[in-house]
Amino acid sequence: MQSDPLVLGFDTSAAHCAAALLSGDQVLASRHEEMGRGQAERLFPLLEEVLAQGGATWHDLTAIGVGSGPGNFTGIRISVSAARGLALSLGVPAIGVSTLEAQAFGTSGVVLSAVTAPRDQIYIQRFNGAPSTPPVLVALDALPDDVAGGTPTCIGAHANEVAARYAGTPGHAAFPLPEAIARIAALRIGQDNPPPSPLYIRAADAAPSRDAPPVILPDET
Amino acid sequence: MEDNLTILALESSCDDTAAAVVRQAKGGPAQILSSVVFDQTKLHATFGGVVPEIAARAHAEKLDVCAKEALIKANVSLFDLDAVAVTAGPGLIGGVLSGVMCARGIAAGADLPLIGVNHLAGHALTPRLTNNVRYPYLMLLVSGGHCQFLIAHSSSDFTRLGGTIDDAPGEAFDKTARLLGLTQPGGPAVQQEAQAGDPTRFAFPRPMLNKPGCDMSFSGLKTALRRARDEIIAQKSGLTRQDRADLCASFQAAVTDVLSEKCRRAIEIYMTEAPSEPLIAVAGGVAANTSIRAGLERTAHENNCAFLAPPLSLCTDNAAMIAYCALEQYRNGDRGKGELVARPRWPLDRHSPAMLGSGRKGAKA
Repeated sequence: MQSDPLVLGFDTSAAHCAAALLSGDQVLASRHEEMGRGQAERLFPLLEEVLAQGGATWHDLTAIGVGSGPGNFTGIRISVSAARGLALSLGVPAIGVSTLEAQAFGTSGVVLSAVTAPRDQIYIQRFNGAPSTPPVLVALDALPDDVAGGTPTCIGAHANEVAARYAGTPGHAAFPLPEAIARIAALRIGQDNPPPSPLYIRAADAAPSRDAPPVILPDET
Repeated sequence: MEDNLTILALESSCDDTAAAVVRQAKGGPAQILSSVVFDQTKLHATFGGVVPEIAARAHAEKLDVCAKEALIKANVSLFDLDAVAVTAGPGLIGGVLSGVMCARGIAAGADLPLIGVNHLAGHALTPRLTNNVRYPYLMLLVSGGHCQFLIAHSSSDFTRLGGTIDDAPGEAFDKTARLLGLTQPGGPAVQQEAQAGDPTRFAFPRPMLNKPGCDMSFSGLKTALRRARDEIIAQKSGLTRQDRADLCASFQAAVTDVLSEKCRRAIEIYMTEAPSEPLIAVAGGVAANTSIRAGLERTAHENNCAFLAPPLSLCTDNAAMIAYCALEQYRNGDRGKGELVARPRWPLDRHSPAMLGSGRKGAKA
């Protein structure tokens, strides 16, 4: 008989370093450490602690689930890059899971899932079992109409404000973030999963060059 | 000492994503089994310079692809490796972080030591990778981000004799190209244009030649070029192709003169160490400029010093140099124990006072 798939889920998309080890339906170990910085240094020691606590090694893993954002750009890249490196060396799939989807996972009915963004904005997405809108970046004081509908359970950042705006009720995620990531990844084992890509939603800040090229005149004769 | 060492290295400190596999038999020459470079020039083209966030985004999704390709091209598996190496700084932190995390993932899953390499040390050891030159040798690192003269005593011991106090020459070439409506990267475009130009038409400054030592400055040269350009435009509402060629040739001549004279002084200091086989090597993209290269070569020969310019593919950013540097570190006992931290600032010379960015965050280079 084949043993249960062993999935390591982790996330550094916000001010934390978090991981969970899932065997079948059972969480063998998990960690969640709040930290404003230092995730890059902490991530691997933390993952190894979680594996050790679950009595497993890297080579026992069936798949990796990684939080792909939205969230802090650098934080997302830390985890996605680590997951890609692990997938290459272990020969197992690394499966990117949106933090918005992870928050909504396990809650039935209409869910509005939100993640904090800079400058009084949020990333928000509507789910009804499956995603029913694309994730968008919106200002808190200008929440759009297109994610409205039904009486949503509002999970994540600014749940009270979101619930007030959309006639919903604030709620909590059914699972801790890294566990939800691992659970979603476990469901996708065997599917054709693309390599994990950061979910930025917002384009990179960059302004085109200010140096206007000079007019080139015909050569003097 | 292991007889045969094989190392996979990743490099992502600026706008090139690179991976390479290098092997060295004990006492033998190093062999580059593969060296893969994905350059991002097109991604940054409209912005007139490397945009850190755009670079970081590209690295994050390319590093593992690049590493896989390097392994396949080298025809080695992870089981054939003795270590994984990665550029841990200095450079743009977003890219360096992605490289370090990807490399940690590869090393963790393959149970291999992970060796952190200084990007500048990678450039500085390239003459040993390509020509197995002997310590101590003199090195000029001259690129879009760096400009310094170093004496290399070993893979971990460098003395910086001097360097730029502001911009790197590569930056000045890029800026010149932008000011004159030429393509990026500026180096090749300016050189091409300068071929038809008069290098004596504009008397651009040769900054800091009147000051002793090997320090340099290139930001004033940019300003002088802009001023000369604006004067012509004010007169005739544009530039002729000849004006542009003359501006390029005069600018290139100024950079060549400064680097050549500072090179002469650096050789003078280096010679006091009585090296058995005196040699100056160049690395960095600017070393590809034929005028600058000719000036440096002439200066070297006038001062009884051999001159070495590695092939361009190993002068610009690549991962083979990082793998080679890790090989030397490994042979010196570095097994990547302890925490590997990404360092945006990481001067090679740990003794001389800092030149750039000596603020709260410490020296940049």
